[in-house]
Amino acid sequence: MSDAAIIIVMSTITTGIMLGVIFSLVAVGVTIVYGSIWMPNAANGQFFLLASLLAWSASVSWGLHPAVAALLVIGASVPFSYLLEILLVRRFYDVPNRNVSYFVLTLGITQILAGIFSVTYGVWSDQFQLPPIVPGVTLFGPFPIANNRLASMGIATILLAALFALLRFHRYGRALRAVFQNREAAALRGVDVRAIYRMSFILGNGVIFAGGVLFACAYSVDLTVAWTMAVTAFAIMIIGGPGSVLGALVIGMVFGFTQAIVSIFASPTIAAFSYLGAMLVILLFRPSGLFAR
Amino acid sequence: MTPTLNRWLPHAAFAVLAFGAPLLLSGNRYFAFIAGITLISVLWATGMNLLYGYTGLMPMMFAGIAGISAYMTIGLAAIGWSFWGAMLVSSLAASLIGVILGLPSLRLRGFYFTLCSLVIQTVITLGFVYFVNLTNGDTGISQIPLPEMPGGGSLSGLAYDMVLAALAVIGTVVLTLIVHSQFGRRLVAIREDDGLAETLGIDVTRQKMIAFFVASVFASIGGALYAPYVGFISPRSFDVLVSLNIWLMVAFGGRGTIWGPVFGAVLLAPVPFLLQDYYTIKDVLYGLLIIGVIVMLPAGIAGGLKGPSRKAAPATLKAERAQ
Repeated sequence: MSDAAIIIVMSTITTGIMLGVIFSLVAVGVTIVYGSIWMPNAANGQFFLLASLLAWSASVSWGLHPAVAALLVIGASVPFSYLLEILLVRRFYDVPNRNVSYFVLTLGITQILAGIFSVTYGVWSDQFQLPPIVPGVTLFGPFPIANNRLASMGIATILLAALFALLRFHRYGRALRAVFQNREAAALRGVDVRAIYRMSFILGNGVIFAGGVLFACAYSVDLTVAWTMAVTAFAIMIIGGPGSVLGALVIGMVFGFTQAIVSIFASPTIAAFSYLGAMLVILLFRPSGLFAR
Repeated sequence: MTPTLNRWLPHAAFAVLAFGAPLLLSGNRYFAFIAGITLISVLWATGMNLLYGYTGLMPMMFAGIAGISAYMTIGLAAIGWSFWGAMLVSSLAASLIGVILGLPSLRLRGFYFTLCSLVIQTVITLGFVYFVNLTNGDTGISQIPLPEMPGGGSLSGLAYDMVLAALAVIGTVVLTLIVHSQFGRRLVAIREDDGLAETLGIDVTRQKMIAFFVASVFASIGGALYAPYVGFISPRSFDVLVSLNIWLMVAFGGRGTIWGPVFGAVLLAPVPFLLQDYYTIKDVLYGLLIIGVIVMLPAGIAGGLKGPSRKAAPATLKAERAQ
């Protein structure tokens, strides 16, 4: 293979992995919340963007080290989610058909955050990128890749593995799956359903925030990423099966590679059309998704 | 005699208001324009009410259908069609496209229908952006020519407002006729319990499809008239937030009543214009209202203040499907 061909292949692979881990992270965050609380979080894209923008402010405007800024923003997601849970989410825990109420509620949050961003960050700049956490470039044969991007990729992969282990083997993960499968049976077996709900909401949003921060480390972010991410994460959740973490992981990676490969030949819009088409087909013929439990 | 009179009295009052407001405001073109936009919103909210208020469907692709009709009307008018012929053909075509796109999802219930319609709306918006030679992409189409009048000249100013007022009134009359017909009662049965409606021998999907077509006609006519009235459209004029705002007018005013959504539209449609320089606050304000409606006013202003419905047994005791 010529150098040019190697560079194209390597760049497709790294972009695929990078997008794949970010998509998977956000989709896992969405699916944990939907799987437990029954809350389709349409605001996931805005939360993702919020994390990117806050990390940008903390590192660029306040001059913090980007790693510190990243940890600070992910930490800040905990009180943020807790406050939302107390103010809004908690009210609907016992409401029948609450997924529609939650959907509209999170669309309301989407509109508020989008409005705020467009009069603040939208005025200040149109591209946001964090300063590199790790400087330098590594060469793979003729192909250069920023160490920073490698670091983001590594951290995201470790996070995904940790999440998978947590949900599969830890007590909390078992309780979460029990609540998803049968809320009242889980309650009868001594699971504190409300505590699990609260934990899932906080954990899910934390994961989405982590995705946003890592994305802003690797790529520059603009305000339109929020809506794309929201729809993509929903598509991944529906195709993988709502509530299925394995489904979110696998389909997230598939989507990442699809986008990387399609972007070589055509515009990303074509990739978006293909996700949405796949999602419609799944919704119509197998609404429980490919990895349903 | 009296019950009929009682039924149509509010329509007469609304007609007086709808025709009167642009007349009174005709001295100030800006305020008359706001009245015109409000009348289009009334038409849209009435169509959305048929689906959300009476059938229990939440169609997030409502604005997309209006957009298809608007783009198509402009396109046909540009190749020499009469505006009115173009509007008629485009409205029917857009409604049919809406039904064809929505047909498979009409089998789905509740949240899954809403999600499906959101996906379809996103596809439509992406289509508006992507097919640049038809829609001029993100730049949008400006300087849209006004509709022509039968006797020559073009429809503008007060005359245009009167057409919009007439359509808003016709919209409420059509909705009232539907609601009081057997078809309307079937829709309400579907809204209350589609499983039970099916058991009673109602063809649920078919009824939903007809309701969806009628509502799409409302959306399309509104879209076709919106474009020349404002003079500019872009994919943002018909994106998911527009659907959500029309939904908000219905939910805030009071779903499932004839006049609640009309009131909601009259209250909310002028807001972005009255805020003038601060119009970007509109998004934040609408978002807060959406949350307020969901949390405190599930039945809208017409239904009064109530908490989230807790009619059913606490879900801890209630069997739930796993998705």
